[in-house]
Amino acid sequence: MAEEAEGDLETPTIQVLFNDLQRLLGMKLSRDLDELNDMLCYVKGEVESLIEDELSIEIKDGNRPDLWSVEGIARELKGALGIEEGFKNYNIEGYSGVEVLIEPRLQKIRPYIACAVVKGVHLDDEIIREFMHLQDKLDQTYGRKRKRTSIGLYNFNLITPPLHYGASKPTAYRFIPLEGDKEMSLKEIVESHPKGIEYGHIIKSFEYWPILHDAENRVLSFPPIINSNDLGKIKEDVKDIFIEVTGTSYLTVLNTLTMVTLSIADRGEKIFSTKVKYPYGKKKTDVTPKLEERKIILELDYARCILGLDLKDKDFLNLLRKARYGLRQIDLKTIEVTIPSYRVDVMHQVDVIEDAAIMFSYNKIKPRWPQLTTFGGISTIESLSNIARELMVGLGFQEILTFSLTNKESLFDKMNTKPAHVIEVSNPMLSKYSCLRTSLMPGLMEFLSNNTHAAYPQKIFEVGECAELNREDRRVDVEESRKLACIVAHANTSFSEIKSVLDAFLINMGLRCELDERVHKSFIEGRIGVILIAGEEIGFIGEISPQVLENWNLENPASGFEISIDKILKLRSALERRN
Amino acid sequence: MNHANSQVETSVANLSQSQEYKRLHRLERMLLLAAKDGKRASMDELKDKTRLLPASVSRAALWLSSKDLAKIDEEQRTTISLGSEGEKFQQKGFPERILSEAVLKAGGKIPLEKASEVSGLSKEEVNIALGWARRKNWLQFLKDKGRTFLSVEKEPVIDDDEKLISFLSKSSAIVNELDAKLTEGLRILAERPDVIVRSVNVRRFLTLTLSGLNLARQVSGIVEELSQLTPELITSRKWKSVSLRKYDIKAPVSSVWPGKKQPYKRFLDELKLKLVALGFKEMEGPIVEFMFFNCDALYMPQDHPAREIHDIYYVKKPSRGDLSDYSALIRKVRETHENGWETGSRGWGYKFSSEESKRLILRSQGTPLSVRMLINEELEIPGKYFSIKRCYRPDVVDRTHLTEFNQVEGIVVSPNLTFRDLLGVLEKFALEVAGAERVRFKPDYFPFTEPSVELAAYKKDVGWLEFGGAGMFRPEVTLPLGIKAPVIAWGLGVDRLFMMNAGINDIRNLFTQDLEWLRKQKVT
Repeated sequence: MAEEAEGDLETPTIQVLFNDLQRLLGMKLSRDLDELNDMLCYVKGEVESLIEDELSIEIKDGNRPDLWSVEGIARELKGALGIEEGFKNYNIEGYSGVEVLIEPRLQKIRPYIACAVVKGVHLDDEIIREFMHLQDKLDQTYGRKRKRTSIGLYNFNLITPPLHYGASKPTAYRFIPLEGDKEMSLKEIVESHPKGIEYGHIIKSFEYWPILHDAENRVLSFPPIINSNDLGKIKEDVKDIFIEVTGTSYLTVLNTLTMVTLSIADRGEKIFSTKVKYPYGKKKTDVTPKLEERKIILELDYARCILGLDLKDKDFLNLLRKARYGLRQIDLKTIEVTIPSYRVDVMHQVDVIEDAAIMFSYNKIKPRWPQLTTFGGISTIESLSNIARELMVGLGFQEILTFSLTNKESLFDKMNTKPAHVIEVSNPMLSKYSCLRTSLMPGLMEFLSNNTHAAYPQKIFEVGECAELNREDRRVDVEESRKLACIVAHANTSFSEIKSVLDAFLINMGLRCELDERVHKSFIEGRIGVILIAGEEIGFIGEISPQVLENWNLENPASGFEISIDKILKLRSALERRN
Repeated sequence: MNHANSQVETSVANLSQSQEYKRLHRLERMLLLAAKDGKRASMDELKDKTRLLPASVSRAALWLSSKDLAKIDEEQRTTISLGSEGEKFQQKGFPERILSEAVLKAGGKIPLEKASEVSGLSKEEVNIALGWARRKNWLQFLKDKGRTFLSVEKEPVIDDDEKLISFLSKSSAIVNELDAKLTEGLRILAERPDVIVRSVNVRRFLTLTLSGLNLARQVSGIVEELSQLTPELITSRKWKSVSLRKYDIKAPVSSVWPGKKQPYKRFLDELKLKLVALGFKEMEGPIVEFMFFNCDALYMPQDHPAREIHDIYYVKKPSRGDLSDYSALIRKVRETHENGWETGSRGWGYKFSSEESKRLILRSQGTPLSVRMLINEELEIPGKYFSIKRCYRPDVVDRTHLTEFNQVEGIVVSPNLTFRDLLGVLEKFALEVAGAERVRFKPDYFPFTEPSVELAAYKKDVGWLEFGGAGMFRPEVTLPLGIKAPVIAWGLGVDRLFMMNAGINDIRNLFTQDLEWLRKQKVT
């Protein structure tokens, strides 16, 4: 389960220890999954599994990294459950004395770094494991698999400031990677260490690679690949932790540091700041972590309008307190809401309003069907498609449905034609599904080839979207159209059989066509024509060439036609206007 | 049973008169009636009367005889016809006649050695001709001064053998039926090789016995029985005097199949009808879409994981399209992403790339259709819109995954819409359209909606199902599009809903390649 969830970047799955969650909440929890799920609704969470002490929770919010740790979940649940409501203040105790100097070359490689120190942390094996989970989760999701950000934790007391965030030649530094036993160069790590193989691509193309070392030139980390075993190993006896986040997005680096710092702070006593000196950008000295709260104005009437709930001011204040906001009523209409530093997701007052709804509980809101007088209807192209389908069914054809993603071999090679105007995707998962169909006919042929055991005659049709590169109008690159194609296959089928079908179809569409001889390699020469109505080509009709039949392993003759429903729609509207 | 058989049978209308008659096979009855005059009839005659195959006639005759309803007797018959020599005689004349008439014409007397020259016959033929001509007394040998002469005094009479040849030239004949002269002719010709060919055959005859005759006579009201009603029978009103043969209606017949709609398409058709009934109008939009409409206009940040190549198909060439028609809109969306623009939001706070907006992709969700509807000049407020369209995401194709899937997308736009209305629409969809019994709502997250909600519905025999997501479009989405009214939106997967309804376990079967299955699948 966890393996599967790892792959999903948008909805992370968090592993927490059930006992630890109880300890952090200070209450006993039911092990009943329904009850747990009801509670986890407050953090958009859903139990994936509960095996002994291991609780896996899927957090269905890709924009709430504060909820991707057991500390964050506990922080939020305490409010929802009424254990500890309102704004939780995290103070910075003072300056840690750690200064980080940055080498200018990093501007183009991995420009940002932010650090913090948390002292007096009470660690045990379980908590260390949960920190590793959090770190990994943030790296994978919010950090976009370490490309955007990556995190490192260290034993603060082993580090000698100031630190240097430098750029190193791949062979200039050697150190023992975390959990390793021998020294390796950066190059060796990228080439042979599992983490190097996994994340090396992020920095491989650069001449210089990021390195973080202390004043005594001891390596802390080779970001974003791996920490050193000497300084970066967190054991139970570690009391003071140094946290570092590097990355390519300044805001994400700061936010990530906030998440990690606050999670660790929930286990410890005091947070200390660090100074980062940037030689580029605004060349300023940055003090991190940044735990400042923000203020946002909530308009109560707007909130009532959004939710459709007739809540009193007092009710709103109670709900928002449960969501752990700081509140100050300005006047009868507005509340000043204090947003905690970890709530990086709050961009607009609607985000606060949703929290009020969640704390109210969605299932307590009475659904209401909006009484709006609107006229329903299906689209004109869909109506005409339905008429076309009705006629084909009446003519004895079985409707089929095929994929619109296909491949050039089916579309062209097997149809004995040359690729033209085809729209390919650049990242197909399977070459079988690598371009959009330009015609429905190959799909019908494939269907026939999968049904050679079924009784003949076989009469099939499909109405569906086709797309191709535009041949005429240069402003629009792609031309999509709704098409109809049908095929009859049996021992005695012929051009005249399918022409009768076409005639019947068009007469019932109120149209008459002319056929113009054409060469088309999919069909037998002299038994293929383009279908013209009022001088415009709307499709083609013919008897499939034996070569094409052979390509599809078919032993019965087949004939068919394909026409554009879009063009028929235009012709019909033109006729109606004239009348 | 052969429905196409239009042979005329003679039969009995009032079958109840004779139990025995009833027990007779169809062929037996036909024969019984064909011979009901009591006369001895050959199998050939019976075959012509009944228009049955010879084998059927003999078979039925044997059955009748075994039941003592008829007796069969045999007659041997010798038929004669012209042999190869006989044919020659018929065309050219007998050699003895050719020779005799030639001698007569040459003055009645010629030397023997000139016989071949005068008659035109070969030496061998001359020898045969001399033998027969002398035997028939047409010609004599004369000896004169040691030379032999041939002498014919009068025109040779036509003999019985010549008469037979001429008779047989018209048709073969039965020996017993020849008159005395022809019989004599046959006797004479029998001596000459290859003139007459004889063949012996056995003829069989059927005569009804007394009980056979009784049975045939017992039944009255004899009418013709037909297997096929024809236009001729109808227009000539002859149908009044015939009866139509009973068929073995339990016999199996060949298969035919109706033309019909694909079951999944039919399901989607009905879904659409229900949405139309609820006042929703259908939206149309392109498969090949701009990243702008698929993501940017939905306030999905440009580095959002759902926009990566694992989740969206990128068009290879052209990789980007022309968005110049939308430059004003793009500017608003860009500012909204960067700093919130006029939406009251602080925005995502990153540098927006217009190049990324121009990227061409295959739509990965139904929501870009809603975006395009909201900027369409035909948009009505209040309005309800839906689409059921194929969306594309890179994925493997197996029992549970497809790389293209159908999504039902819907929006309602109207002043004063609230979250309660959204829940109401979802509840309506689940209960009325999807046939669920109960619904449950859970908080959810989408970059473009706030509040967001996940809809789960309870279906009997299935349990709780996640239907999909919904929410109210964020102001960061609606305001740049120029929409001031609230918009509620939902996107639900329908593939699984159909699979449950149709009892399909393999998602690939939505696009089944099995014609026999389609032909036989129950229409629901």
